Amino acid sequence: MPLLTESKVFIRPDGPDKVTGSGRYVADITLTGMLTAKFLYAGISHAEIIRLDVSAARRVPGVLAVLTHEDVPERRFGSIADRTLFAKDVVRFEGEVVAAVAAIDAEAAQKALDAVVVEYKPLQVVTDLEEAIADGAPLVHEGWADYEAANVERNGNVASFTSMTRGDVEKGMAQADHVVFGRYVADATHAAPIEPRGVLAQWEGDRVTIWSSTQVPFQARDGVCETLDLPTNRVRIIVPHMGGGFGGKCGFHYEAHVAALARVARRPVRLVFSRREEFIAPDRRREGMIIEITTGLKSDGTLTARRVRVLLDNGAYSADSSFFPHMAAMHTLGPYKIDNIHAEAFSIYTNHQPSGSVRAPTAPQTCWALESHTDELAAVVGMDPVAFRQQNCIDTGETGVAGQVYDEIGLQECIREAVSGIDYGQDLEDDEAIGVAVGWWPSFPGASGAFVKIDRDGKGVITTGAQECGTGSVMTLPILAAAELGMEPEDFELVYQDTSVAPYDEGATGSQTILNNGRATVEAARQIAVQLKNLAAKKLEASPDDIVLADGRAHVAGSPESAVSIVELAGVAAGGELLLGKGSGTPPEYPSAVGVACVGDQGLSGWAGPQFSCHAVKIRLDRETGVVRVLDVSAAHDSGVIINPIGASGQVEGGVMMGIGQALTEGTVYDEDGAQKNPAFLDYKLQTMADAPPIRVHFAEVHTPNMGPHGSKPIAEAPNVATAAAISNAITKLTGQPVPRLPMTAQRVWETMRGGGDG
Amino acid sequence: MSFAIAGSLDEALAALAVGARPIAGGTDLVVGARQGKAPLPASLVAIDRLDELAHIESRDRGIRIGAMVTHSQLMIDQMIVSGYTALADAAALVGSPSTRNIGTLGGNVMNASPAMDTGAPLMVLGAVAQLRSARGSRTVELSDLWTGPGQTSAETEELCVAIDLPPRPARSGSAYVRLEYRRAMEIAIVGAAASVTLADDGTILGGAVALSAVAPTIIEVDDAGALMTGHLPDAAAAAVATAASDVARPISDLRASDTYRRHTVGVMAARAVDAAARRAAGEEIGVPVNRAIGVGASR
Amino acid sequence: MTEPITLTVNGLDYPVDVDMGRNLLSVLRTEIGLTGTKEGCDDSECGACMVLLDDQPVNSCSYLALQAEGKSVTTIEGVMPADGLHAIQRSLLEEGGVQCGFCTPGIIMSTRALLDGNPSPSEEEIRIGLSGNLCRCTGYAKILAAVIRTASDN
Repeated sequence: MPLLTESKVFIRPDGPDKVTGSGRYVADITLTGMLTAKFLYAGISHAEIIRLDVSAARRVPGVLAVLTHEDVPERRFGSIADRTLFAKDVVRFEGEVVAAVAAIDAEAAQKALDAVVVEYKPLQVVTDLEEAIADGAPLVHEGWADYEAANVERNGNVASFTSMTRGDVEKGMAQADHVVFGRYVADATHAAPIEPRGVLAQWEGDRVTIWSSTQVPFQARDGVCETLDLPTNRVRIIVPHMGGGFGGKCGFHYEAHVAALARVARRPVRLVFSRREEFIAPDRRREGMIIEITTGLKSDGTLTARRVRVLLDNGAYSADSSFFPHMAAMHTLGPYKIDNIHAEAFSIYTNHQPSGSVRAPTAPQTCWALESHTDELAAVVGMDPVAFRQQNCIDTGETGVAGQVYDEIGLQECIREAVSGIDYGQDLEDDEAIGVAVGWWPSFPGASGAFVKIDRDGKGVITTGAQECGTGSVMTLPILAAAELGMEPEDFELVYQDTSVAPYDEGATGSQTILNNGRATVEAARQIAVQLKNLAAKKLEASPDDIVLADGRAHVAGSPESAVSIVELAGVAAGGELLLGKGSGTPPEYPSAVGVACVGDQGLSGWAGPQFSCHAVKIRLDRETGVVRVLDVSAAHDSGVIINPIGASGQVEGGVMMGIGQALTEGTVYDEDGAQKNPAFLDYKLQTMADAPPIRVHFAEVHTPNMGPHGSKPIAEAPNVATAAAISNAITKLTGQPVPRLPMTAQRVWETMRGGGDG
Repeated sequence: MSFAIAGSLDEALAALAVGARPIAGGTDLVVGARQGKAPLPASLVAIDRLDELAHIESRDRGIRIGAMVTHSQLMIDQMIVSGYTALADAAALVGSPSTRNIGTLGGNVMNASPAMDTGAPLMVLGAVAQLRSARGSRTVELSDLWTGPGQTSAETEELCVAIDLPPRPARSGSAYVRLEYRRAMEIAIVGAAASVTLADDGTILGGAVALSAVAPTIIEVDDAGALMTGHLPDAAAAAVATAASDVARPISDLRASDTYRRHTVGVMAARAVDAAARRAAGEEIGVPVNRAIGVGASR
Repeated sequence: MTEPITLTVNGLDYPVDVDMGRNLLSVLRTEIGLTGTKEGCDDSECGACMVLLDDQPVNSCSYLALQAEGKSVTTIEGVMPADGLHAIQRSLLEEGGVQCGFCTPGIIMSTRALLDGNPSPSEEEIRIGLSGNLCRCTGYAKILAAVIRTASDN
């Protein structure tokens, strides 16, 4: 039964702030005496720093702090501890921070930056993935062996790797009637939230409060503590309204830089990025990739073996990307029944901007490659690509590539519904085609906590570490708490995104809020439910076990007229044992794995409660120019039971649109020195409303055991997986062969039709 | 640093005479300064409130478009839409609604970007620019005005006050089409404008074709008129496509390779000829052509 | 060098001292203290900074503050009538057209200008009318639905 009735309009609690302009984002907050921060970036992709002199910068009028690596503790950080707050000795990408200044205004800060003397001796730039792992390639990190990381092995420019083997891939290939090879290359892309990030820090004594547009306040806090040698209880991260993240604001970024500036300047300091900075500086870019897939299959379409090799552009530092090879390997193998697999994936250091979590990291590119390849497989055996997937995709009770046996899953329903939603067999104009692709995405169990209280008037507050970057925690968590207590979601306000107030949560990362914080909130609410039932039992002279909480009242089961309002019970509790609940709970376990990864398995090779999807798109191709327009999209998702329908469909629509951009117009272009050539919206083209097709959404609401509350699974990243792949398959139907490079720009489509070049 | 809002054309010209630079909508100037392309001039005179420059008026020989007429005005003005449709096509494609509201034809012409959308239509429609300074006025052919990317032959004290367009012959039509990767918010990757006059038998009596974003300035396909004359539109379009690709001197940049630009400018030129001929024959094709009949899959 | 001018914003006159190079956006957000108008890109590409200038939409990031003197500026803070949310604001909330909310003020300003000029726009006219406002969250579907609903409620 849905938690919200269909006619119910539940307006997101932060909505009125957002439509009236009264809601504050970091850049909107001003503190008395506040200074402006600016960074000096390397501006060169690989060089030795032979001179760095900030003495003139410190003398610029109005400048209160100028910092370099000499002014902060010497600490390396990251999933592989390969980076520092400020460059020391060597810079490894154009956006690396060399110095930071705080001044009374932006003009003075800029003058100080201009007065910094820095001289570089250029080093050989590493940008090409194959060349980077060739013998004798120049090293991005000479001192790599000394960095701290779990299980790392030094191997040239390889930052991290994964190897997965199941069955006997040679034997499987030998059994095949056909062996098909495909090679695909994906360009880097960006999260591109419309809000450029901001950080504001203020010290009071030995404690610092930092307002940051971070998706992961606790990670940001831990980064500040680690790099500035501070205990967790003296660093408080508050996230005000946040203008989108999409992974780009995951991780620990600039909170420590700004805190360090504020400590030296003895003033509050605020950093707000320009759009250009948002493109070039953060260690969160969707990595470029080379994906090679070889699949053996029988003439009846049975898959006998798959071998994959994936090269990922790690960029200069490792951010949170060290588990990406594992993700890439799983996505390139795909949600298919194949007994014999071998996958190798390598994340490779280059002098590009670092890679990191961007909405479903590694998935859109690998899915695009695999699903383009899958349509080729179907063509080789003369099968319809949809029928081919229906035959080969995993279903309930079957075994996936990593050996996991799946509980109840809805992938087959997704295929069926996506295809019927777009009228797959319809008559098409000769410049139109429909493409179909399937995708999957793991769910990440993790620790999380929540407090719930109800005050004397029966109104509740949920205090949680969960994050709200637009994704709808402000709706989902009140819906869950209200359902436990027989109350309305409007009865709850959310206090969130304050690390000194709320229990730990991983943040808006890995689509994990509903799964982990949802469980915590439900558990906290259940404690209050017990309290309310005890109070009601006393009042109604019944057993607490017989009390039902519904419609804002507590009543005796079977006798709805014997009831007391929750407001009344809350009044009673206000004079005695207060209505307080806390929840955390043990996260679900990951299934067993067959993979090996250099930074540990991280529980990923078998995926806990994966989400499945199938996207079908109808496109039109201008054959003379290669321009593709998406006319219609049908997206079906198994994200378990849907808790917040308007939020869930909003996630799918947004994810599809981002996927269309990645498919056609979004791609970072580098010059030969490793610098981005299009760090602006004019030439890094997000889709506009004029481009947006209608998007039909279907949810295969499979009740998923042992995942989120009420049989739910996550939803935020999964919609960003399969769209580019479906578009590719539609294009191929018109061009005759796949466009081998992502994004499939008009020029690349045209070149594919002409039979040469990949732009 | 100084800033003045001109209350009259004479005031504006007086300011220019002592070194001020004109600012109309500021869409190019302000963005350019913020991106570091060119610093904001030290002295500015705002000309956007000069109402005498904000009209489209019918004259004895053709029409005069004041320099402060915005793209929003051009795209819906009846004289432009019915007689000089290519210019309306172009105006309707510029930037976003806000850019079209603020951006002016005079600003667009004097910014002299080779990727400007209104340039190729003006050229095929035979436009001339009226320049005025405190010392006098002169009329300049556009091919003489645009000397390079962002460069014009105007003196610094000269203000573009109007664009004059000659009258349209009977059975004439014009169109501007451009290659775009999105359906809005685009800058021309390549573009082409065509003007066509039909004979009674449906063959082409004469016309012109000009191209955007394939050379340092907007360029005309010199022999387009000769290539088209006497032919039916289909054959003319094919001949013009080849000629356009031949005359183009595109660069390779992150938006497109030279090869791709050279090919697609031919495609755009052919489509412009086709649309112009259909309009000349009386067919109603909405403004802009890009969205009315589909250029770059955008139908 | 600053110039003393008076800016009329949401019907109120504000005396401000403005540098020649300052854009309207920065003066609105700092001198005047109205932070509902957002900066997303610096160069007229995203629309988060949209305001109305004499009822026409303008990217305030690319418009000099000095040029706004004597004109009427309307920001998101001036949209809500005294008796509650404007129809556009209400439709956006009820249709789910708001997620992170950073593009929302710009969307509302463009919608208002569109509907003021054309109370019954076609779907295509809405799509073109709002094409200068990038949204990364919603895929535009629910924003479009909200604008259609606002127009049909008119």
